[in-house]
Amino acid sequence: MKFKGLISFLLLFIFIKAAAQPPAYTNTFGMQFVLIKPGSMIVGKFQPTVGNVDFEGKPLPEKMVKDATAMAKKDAMPGFKVTITKQFYIGVYEITQEQWKKIMGSNPSVFKSDSSAKQPVENITWNDAQSFIKKLNATDKNHVYRLPTEFEWEYAARAGAQDDIAWKEIFASAVLGGNTPSAGGTKKPNAWGLYDMPGNVWEWVEDFYNEKIFADAVPPHSGQQHVLKGASFTGDVKNATYMTHAGGPGNGFDIGLRIVMEENGE
Amino acid sequence: MHSAKYSIIFLTMLCVVNLSAQIPQGFTPIFNEKNLDGWHISRTTHQGTTLGCEVKDNAICITQKPFGQGGVLLSDKKYKNFELYLEAKVDSMSNGGIFIRSSESGIAYQIEIDENAGSTGSLYGERMTVSRSAVAKDRAKVWKANDWNSFRIRMTGDTPRITLWINDVQMWEVQEPKNDFIAGTTSGMIGLQAHWTALYAPASGEWNGLTSWAPGAVHRFRNIAIKEIDEISE
Repeated sequence: MKFKGLISFLLLFIFIKAAAQPPAYTNTFGMQFVLIKPGSMIVGKFQPTVGNVDFEGKPLPEKMVKDATAMAKKDAMPGFKVTITKQFYIGVYEITQEQWKKIMGSNPSVFKSDSSAKQPVENITWNDAQSFIKKLNATDKNHVYRLPTEFEWEYAARAGAQDDIAWKEIFASAVLGGNTPSAGGTKKPNAWGLYDMPGNVWEWVEDFYNEKIFADAVPPHSGQQHVLKGASFTGDVKNATYMTHAGGPGNGFDIGLRIVMEENGE
Repeated sequence: MHSAKYSIIFLTMLCVVNLSAQIPQGFTPIFNEKNLDGWHISRTTHQGTTLGCEVKDNAICITQKPFGQGGVLLSDKKYKNFELYLEAKVDSMSNGGIFIRSSESGIAYQIEIDENAGSTGSLYGERMTVSRSAVAKDRAKVWKANDWNSFRIRMTGDTPRITLWINDVQMWEVQEPKNDFIAGTTSGMIGLQAHWTALYAPASGEWNGLTSWAPGAVHRFRNIAIKEIDEISE
């Protein structure tokens, strides 16, 4: 009976603590965050498509389509379930040039001008991102900031979607094409209110890169490079999807970051 | 008897020299014919991040891996003013290309290779708009179908001037009116591309791109060599 009571108390405590988390939060540097609740998704489900006509709509040779269908079937992958067990806050936008400058004192971006303050910071390595986070953590003692893990990033980007994103939706939500990144938030947000998850600039995540098409269920503990997610303004609808699992170093001039925030002591 | 023996040896040597490649004088090989030291796979190109590439019979062979995912193999080193020489043997119904001054994600001026589309030797841009493109109109006069063909590409200047020779015959020379690269880049890597054909999932939409890379198609490159050129005054 006592045990049951303790469980009830703990559940109540967890509920109150969860309910106490506001769905959105803006820190003292003007960085806006959205609370992401736990849940599950399937990562790395590969169902390669096979067309049976050419670009003009003419039928392709039967053998070619048959061979392609067999290869697509052989290479298909069922993916694996990932459960996010702990809620977290993630940036509504990519870190901007003015936010970076406020913390670091300088702006490393290639696309820097008098009007670029709201554009994402770019031209940063994974280590630069870590330096920024370290300094931010030293400045704001009430929170713990870090890069998202790849799974956290993808879960937040999917915003509940289990399948891949449709091209129409990518065009609506991703900054693609053009010769520069755009200021954050010019396209449609995803279902959880996050802007520029696909497109604009690639975003560093915490994980090491496994040099495979998708992440492993257990990310590697070491590696030469780190994972990049989301593609950039130089990308294409082909890769501006939350499924893309890319790796550094990338171009530099189209690589930035988005951060996760936790309450200190969590 | 002896002279007959020497004649056979001499003829055999001639055949070997003829079959193997002729890297022009003054060029330095950038592929060692044994492994891919000095090269790496782009992990950020939209073509695919896990390109299939291996060295076979002294040639770099690139293909899709897994099905529908192409990619770009890049030289580790960047070049600004240079002449590139290589020989290519490509399967039909497959779209690839030779990238020059490529970025890490494969943004580049591109010498197209596509026998099915008939655009081999055309100057295009990959993930960037090229101010002035070009077509190798006389290619058919020198092209050896399903065989090795040599490409020599000269690229110089901050505002690029690009010249293409196929099998030692000049196809075109283009002086771009401006540097088309994003962020004003004036140097980059050599890239070898295999086009993508499949999306990750049908939910993304319809895509009939199978002609861009027939199942199992391979592009082979050998005798890849470069001659760097001293700064060009424009």
